[in-house]
Amino acid sequence: MEEKIIIKNLKKEFYDEQRGTVLAVNDLSFTAYSGEIFGLLGPNGAGKTTTLRMMATLMKPHSGNISINGFDTIKDPQNVRKSMGFLSATTALYPRLSPREIITYFANLNGYPEDKTEERVEHLIEYFNITKYADTLSEKLSTGMKQITSIARTIVHDPPVLILDEPSSGLDVIVAQKIHEHILDLRDHGKTVIFSSHNMGEVEKVCDRIGVINNGKLLTTGTLNELREITGKYYMEEIFIYLVQEYETVKQKETGNVND
Amino acid sequence: MKALILIYLKDLIRNKYTTLMIILVPVILYPTLYWGITQFLMVKSGLTDNQEINLSLDIRSEQFLSVKDSIATIKNFIISETSDEDFNKNSMYLLVNQVDSLPFYTLHLDSTNAIQKEFSEKLKVILSDYYDLQLGQRIDLSPYDKDYFNTFWVIKHNIDGEYENMTRILSMIIPLMSIITIIAGLGTGAVELTAGHTEDKTTETTLTTSLSRFKIIMAKLFATNIYGLIGGILNFSFLTFVIIQIINTLMMQFAGKSLEFDWSLIFNFRTISITFLSLTLMSHIMSLIFVAAAGFAKTRKEGNILITPFFMAFMMMSYVVIIPGIEPGFIFSVIPVLNIAMMIKLLLVNDFQILFFAQTVSFSLIWMLMLYKYLLPFMLEEEIILGISNTSLLKQIKGRFARWKKK
Ligand SMILES: Nc1ncnc2c1ncn2[C@@H]1O[C@H](COP(=O)(O)OP(=O)(O)OP(=O)(O)O)[C@@H](O)[C@H]1O
Ligand SMILES: [Mg+2]
Repeated sequence: MEEKIIIKNLKKEFYDEQRGTVLAVNDLSFTAYSGEIFGLLGPNGAGKTTTLRMMATLMKPHSGNISINGFDTIKDPQNVRKSMGFLSATTALYPRLSPREIITYFANLNGYPEDKTEERVEHLIEYFNITKYADTLSEKLSTGMKQITSIARTIVHDPPVLILDEPSSGLDVIVAQKIHEHILDLRDHGKTVIFSSHNMGEVEKVCDRIGVINNGKLLTTGTLNELREITGKYYMEEIFIYLVQEYETVKQKETGNVND
Repeated sequence: MKALILIYLKDLIRNKYTTLMIILVPVILYPTLYWGITQFLMVKSGLTDNQEINLSLDIRSEQFLSVKDSIATIKNFIISETSDEDFNKNSMYLLVNQVDSLPFYTLHLDSTNAIQKEFSEKLKVILSDYYDLQLGQRIDLSPYDKDYFNTFWVIKHNIDGEYENMTRILSMIIPLMSIITIIAGLGTGAVELTAGHTEDKTTETTLTTSLSRFKIIMAKLFATNIYGLIGGILNFSFLTFVIIQIINTLMMQFAGKSLEFDWSLIFNFRTISITFLSLTLMSHIMSLIFVAAAGFAKTRKEGNILITPFFMAFMMMSYVVIIPGIEPGFIFSVIPVLNIAMMIKLLLVNDFQILFFAQTVSFSLIWMLMLYKYLLPFMLEEEIILGISNTSLLKQIKGRFARWKKK
């Protein structure tokens, strides 16, 4: 297995009028491999979006570094962007363009070979069942249609790494199910998929490995079974609540006891 | 209700930009308008007692050298002698020849210039008297009757040709309208492409494509420019058409004839190409400012507020051009937007002043490069390009103001 995403000691601060300096991401490190789905979990404000944005070269970390597909996000952002597709938390589509136009447009922007673009776009439209609304302006689409279109435009240039911020939020079970199928399919084609989520069932079902973060810090990573072992809980929901609420204090107590 | 009004007022006053506008308009616009209108009225109503005027005098006949002394009796005339035909906007030109041993006058003047017109009336009285004097002497010497001789002759020349009134009007309307229509398009485009994209969250996804940030910003600039120019040209053509139709209808109604105008005076290759190029340059400068300003905004609404002061400033500059009596000079060539508006105006009245044009183009280019140098780094900053800044310029100003108030 090839290391596709390597994150080392990542830090990001924000300055905010009310709160002063906010440490959004604090000393975060993890690795994700090819053909793997990595789930990033954490409560609201944990720093998931910030981490994914830094991976997508949208933001610069204050310290630490990220390597995607062998390219450094600071030194070689252009190649990083070529190697990945990024789906932002909001279904950000140009409201006055149709899905077909948007997908084609992003193929062009990402330098997908021009002579193959049309074929690729048609393939995706068919694969994602977009045909019916492919030529409707996206402002008129439902949330699910928009999200599907967004995913299609994210993978149009067939990148080896996919970074998805809450890909199934606000979707009904059937659409969400479809998206899970697509994500699994992408993995089977050897892609690395990293996504954030608040849906524990989804994480249980789809993820090969899971990382849980809180207050910008990585609490732990591992497969579902590994997390079960660490926490002694069975369901992902219980594992998550335990990790976020108790794990830290338990760990602190342990180290505190040692110090005593 | 009183409380609500108070809240509304507070809300308005606390918006520093609207407040700034409230101050900016009276401080800049009103004095400009006042100055322009009084200038105009002064000229129109003949309050020109203290106005001096230049006259180039070209006496081609030794016999009538004394006419200079007669003219010199007119107050405020500055006479300079010349020996060649002098077509100059700023001075009148009088040629004195001799026909049948009598003076034959040719006067060049700008008939739209009220001051020149007024002086020409005074001049006519003097010249007529001088003619009569010469005629008296001539009759004494000849066996012919008085009726045999030509009566007093003055030929008036319009330095701008026969359509000058129309050219004048168009030379004011065209720069003004083209700038206004371009600004409107640029403003909308800049706000849509920066603040609008931030609001729709589409910037983020574009930024993760393999295009560089610089290219994305440039694309926004160019798109804004094209949008502005196309909008400007469309609006403007339509407007010109409507204006011509109105003038035509009025002419038919009141004068019984349609408008006669040689359109090639304005719509020729030189004028159109130079006008278009200079408008492109100007819109580039304005769009840089608009895109940079609206880039700080998170929503379209905020974006519109942020560009308003610049919008107003550009509008005022284009108004300055239509103030009568404003002449091109070094200072004008330095001021962006204004210089190009002035240049287009000159072009339309066929007054090709190479020095002013060169200065205008150079200064516009300098402005453009400076804006690129100082605004681009701002535009490329992650917080601004992503529209996630909590420390935007506005907030920074606010923060500083709050800290200052605490002290
Ligand atoms: N532009 C910003 N300015 C100031 N603070 C920010 C900014 N962006 C994020 N933060 C802060 O950084 C922290 C992490 O935010 P982030 O959006 O990464 O959380 P998240 O894990 O994605 O949360 P959610 O599950 O709600 O999406 C939060 O405290 C947030 O308020
Ligand atoms: Mg988030």
